[in-house]
This record gives sequence, structure tokens and C-alpha cells, in this order.
Amino acid sequence: MWGTEWPRYEVMKQDTPRSPVQMVGSVHAADPEHALLVARHVFVRRPAAYALFVAPAEAFFHITQEALKDPGGLSPEEGPEEAYWVFAKRSHRRSMVYGDLLGRFLAKGPADAIAQALLQGQGVAFWAVPERLVVGTESTEEVVESWFAPAKEKTYRLQSYYGLITAKGVEDA
Amino acid sequence: MVRLRIGYPEDPDYGERLAEFEARIARGEKLEPGDWMPAEYRRQLIRMISQHAHSEWVGMLPEGAWIPRAPSIRRKLILLAKVQDEAGHGQYLYHAAETLGVTREEMVEALLSGRAKYSNIFNYPTLTWADVGIIGWLVDGMAIKNQTMLAQCSYGPYSRAMVRICAEETFHHKQGKEAVLLYAKGSRKQRQMVQDALNRWWWPTLMMAGPHDTDSPHTPLLLRWGIKTKTNDQVRQEFLNEHVPELLDAGLIPPDPDLRYDEKTGNWIHGPIPWDEFWKVIQGEGPMNRHRLEARRRAHEEGRWVREALEAHGRRRLAQAAD
Repeated sequence: MWGTEWPRYEVMKQDTPRSPVQMVGSVHAADPEHALLVARHVFVRRPAAYALFVAPAEAFFHITQEALKDPGGLSPEEGPEEAYWVFAKRSHRRSMVYGDLLGRFLAKGPADAIAQALLQGQGVAFWAVPERLVVGTESTEEVVESWFAPAKEKTYRLQSYYGLITAKGVEDA
Repeated sequence: MVRLRIGYPEDPDYGERLAEFEARIARGEKLEPGDWMPAEYRRQLIRMISQHAHSEWVGMLPEGAWIPRAPSIRRKLILLAKVQDEAGHGQYLYHAAETLGVTREEMVEALLSGRAKYSNIFNYPTLTWADVGIIGWLVDGMAIKNQTMLAQCSYGPYSRAMVRICAEETFHHKQGKEAVLLYAKGSRKQRQMVQDALNRWWWPTLMMAGPHDTDSPHTPLLLRWGIKTKTNDQVRQEFLNEHVPELLDAGLIPPDPDLRYDEKTGNWIHGPIPWDEFWKVIQGEGPMNRHRLEARRRAHEEGRWVREALEAHGRRRLAQAAD
């Protein structure tokens, strides 16, 4: 029986209170709360995390570097003004470059929000999503602890646990 | 949803677009979802990434079988962490493939119906605990060689998934090596057990790198577009050069009478690989093919009520939020 796929949610992760919120991938889930739980299993099996956010994938307006060259690509919109989160990917050069949160912009549409963000920062790709659709974990100590500490305490989380292994030096285990 | 662009040779601007695309790859830039790409680039990526995702998911089965039978609580915890990682790797990879416009549902359907391929290595049984160690050291060792190469891939989402996966695979590799070395210097029975596991997994592991370059029709295009950055034979050679000396140091003998060190090139040279067996297993005749797919189908079927319950719960939450 097909045609039963759950909606896809984009996942945004913040590693520490001072690090940027980054788009790290997506999960399928029945609702935003479920999406947060699945995101924790997929993206926070190992440290570190301070906050996780999700929003429906189809709610993201996405524009590439190529489309930015097109003058009609960011035509002004006439919707009600609301807050958007705008993300930018800064470079195509290295592997581990994610969409980083540039900030929160009051705009009449996602293209308008990106046009405002462009005044502040450069990028090779942009995403905008209405803030009202973003659901996240709270940044209280209690919530951060209960959501993310278990991954930090998890045994066998890093390869450095094993140090250098050679045929002569293996320890009893 | 990604807006799919055309990218077929018959498109009027294909030549010009292709030249721009290849110039980007030559500059070492990463392609992102939404960028123009040849339809063939998209097709090859979907094929490779989804096969890779399926391999992670099917790969949970041979090792998962040993979780209840691990020889100590420490080994059980390690194996639990490892099998959980494989599930996560499948998720990263399915996500990367989805950015190219294919749905998760289409990919899962292709796996469960038997249309999609997954790594041949998982069609072999894990007969003893030593197999779990050998899988960690050699099978994951070969996987890492392949994946560090793919982490340089020109498609951003695949490359990012590979970087994360490699970091975790290195833990799998080390724990496998530790487990094998422990048995290799253990009792006579343990040494026999681990040599027997090596004998059974050696050739399937070498086959994991794929057919020889001369028999691999996709390789030249994949290299040209930066999807792969090394050939199958290069990856296999790197694996041999790293692992053969370590196996010999541990007193283990790879089951290849022709295996020799070539002073001139500094390479370990292997004897003829039994490709007939490889093709037989790929065509579904391996010892565990049927069993693996049945296990995945059963898991999908038996999980149906959980999916339905979560959906009903989600609908209710959304309705409540809307009130």
C-alpha cells in the first residue's frame, strides 16, 4: 500500500548557544513534534546540540545563485507582513557548508525577506521560511539537558575511544 | 519540493548549460539542489545514493542478529551503537537522494519489490561472533575507502552525508579491528574462528569495490562529473595496501595463494577474484538474498500499525492546534 508517505520536515540544528542555526537535512514525520523526535535520533546521535528546529519542507522558498542573476527572481510580493527566517549557504567550495541562519526579517513574502537579507550577507543559495511554521526545542537548561545530554554521555560515541590499535598492542577487552 | 529542471541533450540550450556545469565542477564547486544539472548526472546520483541508503538499511540485519548474542555487555553496547548508526546513515542518504526529486516512498518500494540493488556483501550470513569483528574491520574498512572518496563528490548533499558517515564509520572500523585482534591472539579456538571468518569474508570484501575498471561502464562519466573521484581498482588497491600488512602482523592469512607484495610499485597484488560468484549473488542467488529482503518486507509490514497510529496522532494534534 503506497501513497502514505509522511510529510518531509527540514531540520535545523544549533550546536551551542553561540553557534549558528544550520540546515542539516530532513526527516519524514507525522507532525512537527514527531519530526523533532526523529531529528534527534538522526542528527544528534552524537554531540553537540543546543537546539533543534523543524519546519515543513514545502514551506521553504529556495533560490539558487543562478536564479539570483535573474532580475525577476526576487520580484516583490504583496502578502501580509510577517517574520521569516532566512538561511544562506556561503560557499560552494568546501564539503561541510550548510545553510546558516542569517536572521529574522519582517517581509511581505519570502522573496522580499531574501532581498532584505541580501543587503546583509552574501551567499550562493538562500532559503526563507515563515517563522510561524518553525517548531523548536526550548532553550531552557532543563530542556537542553533532557533532549541532548544523553547523546553526550553515550558510550562508544567517538573513534578516539579506541586510540591506536595494532596487532602487538591490543588490550584485553 | 525541488523544482526539476530539464537537462536532456535534446534541449536547445543543453550544450551551453553543460559547458557551464562542467566548468563549475572543474573549479571544484559543489552542486546544490535546484542548480542546473544534466539529467544523466541526476539519474546516476539517484541510482548511487539510493543503493547506498538501501545498503545501510539491509546492512543492519547481519549484525543486528548478533546483538542478543554478543559475548559481553561492552560488546553488546558497541554493537547497538553501531547498528543504530547504520539506520542513521540510511536516513542521511535517503535525504540526500530526495533533494534530487525522488521520493522516499519510491526508493523504499524499489528496495522491497527487489528492483533496487544494495551492496552484495550483505547477502552473506554471519555464522559466528568473529564475523561481526571481520565485518567491522574489513567490510567497514572497504566502505570507508569508498566513502572518503565520495566525500569529495561534486554533489553537495551527498558529499555532506559522506563526511558525517565517514566520521562514524571510523569508529566501526576501529572496534572491528580491536575485536579481531583480540581473537587473533586469543585461544586456539578463537584464532580458528577468526581465520575462518576471514576466509569467508575476504573475497566478498574485495568485490565490494565493484567490478574491475575495464568492466565498469559507468566509471568514466562518474569521474568526469566528479561524482566519483577514484576508480574501483584504485579503491581496492588502497584497501589492500592498508589491511594486508595488518592482517599478516596479526597472524591471519588472507585466503589468496597468489597474494604478493610488489616491491616496484609498493602495492599488494591479489590473485583472480571469483567474479562468477559476484554476478550470481547480484542476480539474487546468494545465500541470504531472499532472507534479507523478506526480513525488510516483514519489518515494513509489521511496522504498519505504528505508522498508522502516529499518523492518527499527528492528524489529531494538527486539528487541535487549528482549533
